[in-house]
Amino acid sequence: MHKLSNKKRLGIFLLLGVAIYFLSGAVDELRVYQGASVAVFVLGISSIILLTGYSGQVSLGQGALLGVGGYAAALMRIHYNAPIWLCFSAAIIVAAMAGGLLGLAAARLSGPYLAGTTLALAVGLPSIANQFAFLGGEQGLLFDVGFPPLSLGKDFTQYKWFFWIASLATLIAIFWLQNVMRSRYGRSWKAVRGNDVAAELAGINLTRNKTLAFTLSAGLAGLSGALLAMTIGTVSPSAFPLSLSFSLLTGAVLSGVTTLGGVMIGAVTLVAIPEIAGAVASRFSSSEAVTNNLPGLLVSTLLILTVLFVPNGPVEQLRTRREHRVNK
Amino acid sequence: MIQFINTILIGFTSGAIYALMAMAIVLVWRSTRVINFAQAGLALASAYIGYQVVQSISNYWVALIIAMFAGAALSALIEIAFMRLLLKHTSSGPIASVAPIIATLGLLGIIKAGIAMIWGGQYVVVKPPLSNTGFSIGTHTLVFSPMKLAIVISVASLVLVFSLIFQKTNIGLALRASAFAPEIARLAGVKVDLVRTLGWALSGAAGAVAGLLLTSNGNGSFSPESMEFSLLLISGFIAAVIGGLESLVGAVIGGLVLGLVTSFVLMYISGSLFFIAPFVVLLIVLFIRPQGIIGVKVGRRA
Amino acid sequence: MTRMKRRALISATAVLAVAALTAATVPAQAAEVGVTNSTITLGMTLPMTGTASPGYNKIPGAMKAYFDYLNANGGVNGRSINLKVEDDQYVPTQAVAKTNKLLLQDKVMALIAPLGTANNKAVAASVNPARRGVPVLFVNTGFSGFADTKKYPTTYAILPSYVMEAKIMAQYIKDNFAGKTIGLVYQDDDFGTDALKGFTQAGVTFAAKIPYASGSQSAATAAGWVTKLSAAKCDVVILFGVSSATAAGLGTAAALKYAPQWILGSVGGDATTIKAAGVPAGVLYNAVGASFAPATTDMTDEYVKLFSDIYAKAVPGSAFDNNVLIGMNTAFVAAQALKAAGTNPTRASLLAAIDAKGASFASAALLPLNYSKTSHVGYNGYWFGKYSPTGDLKPVDGKYVLYTTDSGSGAVVKSTWTRPAMPAKGLPQ
Repeated sequence: MHKLSNKKRLGIFLLLGVAIYFLSGAVDELRVYQGASVAVFVLGISSIILLTGYSGQVSLGQGALLGVGGYAAALMRIHYNAPIWLCFSAAIIVAAMAGGLLGLAAARLSGPYLAGTTLALAVGLPSIANQFAFLGGEQGLLFDVGFPPLSLGKDFTQYKWFFWIASLATLIAIFWLQNVMRSRYGRSWKAVRGNDVAAELAGINLTRNKTLAFTLSAGLAGLSGALLAMTIGTVSPSAFPLSLSFSLLTGAVLSGVTTLGGVMIGAVTLVAIPEIAGAVASRFSSSEAVTNNLPGLLVSTLLILTVLFVPNGPVEQLRTRREHRVNK
Repeated sequence: MIQFINTILIGFTSGAIYALMAMAIVLVWRSTRVINFAQAGLALASAYIGYQVVQSISNYWVALIIAMFAGAALSALIEIAFMRLLLKHTSSGPIASVAPIIATLGLLGIIKAGIAMIWGGQYVVVKPPLSNTGFSIGTHTLVFSPMKLAIVISVASLVLVFSLIFQKTNIGLALRASAFAPEIARLAGVKVDLVRTLGWALSGAAGAVAGLLLTSNGNGSFSPESMEFSLLLISGFIAAVIGGLESLVGAVIGGLVLGLVTSFVLMYISGSLFFIAPFVVLLIVLFIRPQGIIGVKVGRRA
Repeated sequence: MTRMKRRALISATAVLAVAALTAATVPAQAAEVGVTNSTITLGMTLPMTGTASPGYNKIPGAMKAYFDYLNANGGVNGRSINLKVEDDQYVPTQAVAKTNKLLLQDKVMALIAPLGTANNKAVAASVNPARRGVPVLFVNTGFSGFADTKKYPTTYAILPSYVMEAKIMAQYIKDNFAGKTIGLVYQDDDFGTDALKGFTQAGVTFAAKIPYASGSQSAATAAGWVTKLSAAKCDVVILFGVSSATAAGLGTAAALKYAPQWILGSVGGDATTIKAAGVPAGVLYNAVGASFAPATTDMTDEYVKLFSDIYAKAVPGSAFDNNVLIGMNTAFVAAQALKAAGTNPTRASLLAAIDAKGASFASAALLPLNYSKTSHVGYNGYWFGKYSPTGDLKPVDGKYVLYTTDSGSGAVVKSTWTRPAMPAKGLPQ
């Protein structure tokens, strides 16, 4: 994949788009909805891979940045009746600005201090919505992107429309992100991640670099938040809980934090796991206490097995194994 | 005036409990460079063990001590059976910074689910052993009671014991050496693995006591989903970061600062700011001192 | 395990799995989704795990207990009722995902008692049950907006709204505590701010008005409330929060020897839950409480008697509290609605039945339901009582005095309605 020219990569993304288009016609409405959720997670997880995998910073508050994006999009829609693409752009810009501010602070902080700060942000930010009436309080704001255009046909469902929008936005964002990672910035992030002193000696401005990574990551998170708001039709503080930040981090680890190649794995797992766990739980008709908590137990166990045995994600694992074999 | 004094007393008692949790977090951080999110689960599990003991022998103080040892044992077990393997597999690359977070979150999930499966999702109560009725000055009642006094004394004596262990023995030094330069420490004759396990065990003990004391600061009730335990972890972590992560004294200062500031904000500004206040305190402290109040500026590693 | 046994076990599992798969794929016999010749399937989402779950996670067990009782007594026109429960952890994203699963995969006929304002708003916006014609029976929230038949044509509220409760409480204060200094502790989200709206509308002024962030309630924060309340010399204090906040507030006040006249909101006023949280019953004594249902400890009430008997058999060892009573009552009302929907119930006939006959459905509450073509308001009032030395809420002088009002600017009036006798055996007639 790394050796491919830009033109070829664009081709691959276009093919992916066509595949998604046909896929959306072939599966039922529930799967289409879940597809839109996968797109949301792909972006959220990518924002963490960019931040952690490429620039070596840890954020436990990515969910809060999704929230910033979601609220920005909803406010644009409600107050200015802006078209969807403009709402999404606003989400990206506002979240990126918030991320930039956070990044300025973050560049001064080492690992656990940054983790603590972003954790405090994730805990504190949602409760701000109750302080300002224009944010709609606990029940939040509506975010209605409207019905699908009539030209798509009578049977074209709302969820298919969400899925199309989310997929398109995600494909564009990921294509752009791949380009960024292959650019000068991407290379310098990798250098900083490898050895920051050497990188600084080589003339890389650490603060600017880290702040930029935080800003771009927040922009992606903002778009993810706006898409999330679209799929649930609303934004509210409880839609962006601390557990969302943890889920995204989980997804990033399942995908492998050092490469974008496995991002689908994490996203699909996050969407599918509750359903699979629920199905497993319902097969055991034991006490209610067990059935209720089995999904949580299964997810946690999977998580631990992953960090223990495939810490860099399946894609990286396969690659190392292949390289190993070639070297022999 | 009484309002002002009470605000201090409220913040002081909460701060003492946060301080204990912060200490637990610092101990693990110093020994293995891991922020242990499972600490909330350990505290909860220890509280349930305490509950079980109180059910059978109905002596709170014995239960507290048993819970403390149980917390230490559980924590040590996690280090031996799990963290050693994890740190070996994820020692380098970006994953090294997130793997411990993810892994301990996973552990937290398992512990919580396990507790809910064993004890059910409803409240259990461990009645506080001493009266919570506040002391009086004249016609005023202070937010300070025999129970709260016992809490503060328990925390203070644990802090004292831990500090003594660290100052009079070489454990403190060995902990830091084991975390920073395990190979060199090994060469110098430090039993690195044992020292790390000890760090986790001490941390588990501190966390367990913090958990049970937290419930006794109120009506004594808790459930697997008690918000208070998640908050204890978050507050403890924030307090540890404020204090500077490397120092026990810092953890205590961080806990007290967080407790007092939150108490004053809630009393004199607004009760709505409960979740925002810690973030602001943290930002201000880290803006002035990015390494925390007592933190050591980490030297560049070339 | 012997080989034979293992093989038997494997084949048994295989048979079960195939049976489960076919059961899931065979189309419904009758015309309507979720209705077969022998079953009706309903679905609900609520927090079964997570910080919001304690207390609420008893509701599905309570509803199932009633439905099992009903099914054992012939069900609804020969069909047994099947309840599918999904855990949403009180997160809107989960509520939408799980509701989609219930409707699109499990194919439930109707949604029942989904919990939480933000969650229900998200479900209404995204899943859009109205557009799908799916009935949303009896949402479990006091947000008044869901009774709006134009915005949510297939949704029915059942609980009196927070605004109603505050207006009625204000009237009660005027009648009983005129001239006293009044304090208020409230949750700072919609639950509390809606109430604040109601109090303001009724012209109540507070000497101390203390908000708390949801989730921050503990002995430490409550010590702050009490300090502020006693500094403001409040003689009457309204606690308008969830039960853990009530427990923290009452327990701490007792420890600080502060004893105003307490008035507890209905959400946080369930004595069984407060006592389970470690508060001694004596602390509750003489506090004023509000409810629209009979007290859960009142065994002279025919509904409480029957429901608590059913529940004790179905879920032994679990306390019969307000969540259980309301859950079973919701199931009972739903059963009547399904019965009224005819021998071959459809989503449309179910909606039509509630609009036409809902106002006459029997229920355990001491107030009538207000359903009609133009109103999806459920109960619209409260009675006040005082807690006994054992912590049971009892009407003052043994007589239920009911006040009713609306969520708008309507006046508060005393109701003269008396509840009709329970249908035989508590089954839909």
